[in-house]
Amino acid sequence: MLKFAFRRFLGMIPMLLLISIVIFTLARLMPGDSFSGEIDPTNTNPEYIAEMREKLGYNDPLPQQYFRWITNFIQGDFGKSTRFKISVSEVIKERLPNTLLLGFTSILITYVLAFLMGMYAGRKPYTLGDNLIGTFNYLGLSIPSFVAGVFAIYFFSYKLGWFPSNGSIGIGMKEGTIEYWLSRFHHVILPAFVLAFLNIASYTQFLRNDIIENSRKDFVRTARAKGTPESKIYNVHILRNSIIPLVTFLGFDLVSIISGAIITETIFTYPGLGQLFLQSVGTRDYPVLMTLTMLFSLITLIGNLVADILYGVVDPRIRLD
Amino acid sequence: MQIVTQKDANITQVSPKKSLSPLAMARKKFLRNKLAMISLIFLVIVAIVSFLAPYITTADITKVNIGQMSLKPSSEHWLGTDKSGRDVFTRLLYGGRISLLVGISCTFFVVFIGTLIGSIAGYFGGIIDSLLMRFTDFILNFPFLVFVIVINAILFGKVSGLWVLIAVISLLYWGGVARIVRSKILSEKENEYITAAISIGCSPAKVIIKHLLPNILSTIIVQATITFATMIVIESALSYLGFGVPQEVPSWGNMLNSANEPDVLQYKLWIWVPPALLITLTILSINFIGEGLKDAFNPKSKR
Repeated sequence: MLKFAFRRFLGMIPMLLLISIVIFTLARLMPGDSFSGEIDPTNTNPEYIAEMREKLGYNDPLPQQYFRWITNFIQGDFGKSTRFKISVSEVIKERLPNTLLLGFTSILITYVLAFLMGMYAGRKPYTLGDNLIGTFNYLGLSIPSFVAGVFAIYFFSYKLGWFPSNGSIGIGMKEGTIEYWLSRFHHVILPAFVLAFLNIASYTQFLRNDIIENSRKDFVRTARAKGTPESKIYNVHILRNSIIPLVTFLGFDLVSIISGAIITETIFTYPGLGQLFLQSVGTRDYPVLMTLTMLFSLITLIGNLVADILYGVVDPRIRLD
Repeated sequence: MQIVTQKDANITQVSPKKSLSPLAMARKKFLRNKLAMISLIFLVIVAIVSFLAPYITTADITKVNIGQMSLKPSSEHWLGTDKSGRDVFTRLLYGGRISLLVGISCTFFVVFIGTLIGSIAGYFGGIIDSLLMRFTDFILNFPFLVFVIVINAILFGKVSGLWVLIAVISLLYWGGVARIVRSKILSEKENEYITAAISIGCSPAKVIIKHLLPNILSTIIVQATITFATMIVIESALSYLGFGVPQEVPSWGNMLNSANEPDVLQYKLWIWVPPALLITLTILSINFIGEGLKDAFNPKSKR
C-alpha cells in the first residue's frame, strides 16, 4: 500500500513538469509579455524597455527562460504581480484563507447533509420523506451552480435579507474578535451552500442506494434474527459498510471545489483564489495566472491521487499496479 | 414451382415468432417511461422552437433600442426587454440555438474522440494502450475549467469565437469517455465471436466498427446523454463568467450574465429568470432521458 502510494506520488512529478511546460507555452502564446511585471510602465522610453528586457532575460531562448521560471518556481519565487506590484506569493497568501474557509465549510456541509438525508432516505425508502429527498436530489443534480447561486442571492440576500450577497467580511471588523469570525462565517455560508449543492445531491443518492443494497444482505438478516435493535442495525452495522465508499469521494471533492470556487466566488464577489484567477485572466496578470494555474493543477493531481489511494484502502480487491 | 412456394409458406407458419432484439426491447422500455418521454418531448420542442427562431420572431436581436430599455413584460414584448432594449423572448430563442448548438457539437466531438481513442487502446492493448492511456491521464489531470478559460483567453479575437469554444471544450473533455469505452472494449473483446471475426480475416477497423462498437452502443449512448447535460452547463457557466460565447452572441449563459448587476438581479426578474429556468429545465430533462436510457438498456431493471 505504502509502496503504491509512494510510487504514485513520484509519478506525479513528471506529470507536473509536463503541465508546467504546457502552462509556460500557453503564457507565452498570450498577447503581451508574460513577465512584464518588473518593467516600470510609466517609463515608456524604448531604450529603457529594451535594456530591462535584456536584463530580465526576455531575449534569451525559450528553453532557457522556461528553466529560469521553473527553478525560481520550485524555490518559491513566483515572480511579481503586474497588477498589484507585490510578489505573487503575497497576493495568494492574502486570498488563500478565504478559499480554504469556503472549501472546508462546503465539504463539511456536504458530508453532514448527505449523511443525514442519505441515512433517512435509505432507512425508509419509497416513503414520502424519501421521495422528497429524491426530488431535491434531482433538482440538485440539474441546477447548475451559477443558476443556484443567482437564485440564492435573490431569495436569501435580497428578499429575506438573511445573508450578505457579496464580500467575505463586514466593513469595520477588527481581526481576532468574535464578531470578526462570526461575520466571516456569515459571509461564507451562502457561497458554501451553493458550492456544496451538487455534491450533496449525488452523495445523498449514493448513500441511500448503498444503504438499501446493504440492508438486503445476509449480515443484516443475521443481526435481525439475533434481536439487534433496528436503530443499531442501521446506525452501526449498515452505516459502517456504507460510509466506506463515500470516503473515496474526498479526493474528487478537492478537484470539484477548484472549478466550483471559480464560479461561486465570482457570483458572490468573494475575494478568494477563484476570483483572483478570473481577474488575472482579465487583467493579463501573467505571474499570478501562471502560479494559480500551477497550483490548481497540483491540487487536481493530489485530488486524483488521494482518490486512487483511498480506493485501494477501502477495497482491497482493487489491484494496485 | 407450385410445390416450392407452398413449402415456403409452411416454413413461415411453423417458425416461432421472432423475439425482440435487445435494442427493440430497450426502445419499448424507454417509450413506456413517462418521465423520460415527457422530457424528450420538451427537449424536442425547445430545440425546434429555437432552431426556427428566425421564422417565429421578427424582432432584431442585435439592434440596441435605447427607447425601450428594461421594459416589463407586455403584449408587445412577451418577456419584456433587457437593459439594451432587446426583446428577451427573441434572445431566449436565439440563445437556445447557440446553447444547444454548442452542447450538441461538443457532445459529438467528445464522444467521437473518446470512442476513437478508447476503442483503439482497448482493442490493440500493449504499448499502444499504455501510450494512449497515459495521454488520456495527462488530459484528465488538467483542471478542466481553468484550462478552458486560459486557452479561450489566448485564442479569443484571433479566430471566430463559437467554434473555438467548441474545439477547446471537446479537446479537453474526451478523457472520461475514452476510459469508459476502453474498459468496455477490454471485456467485450474476450468474447469468442471476436476471435472468430479475427480468424476469418476481418481487419481491426472492421472488427471494432462492425462487431465491438454495436455491442457497447448502450454505454456510449448513456455517456453521450450525460456529456450533453454537462456541456450545456459548461457552455452557460463559461458564458456567464464572460469566457464562453462572445458577448454579442445571445446564449442562455450570456443572458444570465446580466444578473451580475444587483439592480437587474433584484428588480428586473424578467431579464434573468427565463434563461435560468430554461437552462435548469433543459438539464433536468436531459438527466431524465439519461436515466430512462440507462434503465432501458439494463436488462436487470424490472420496469
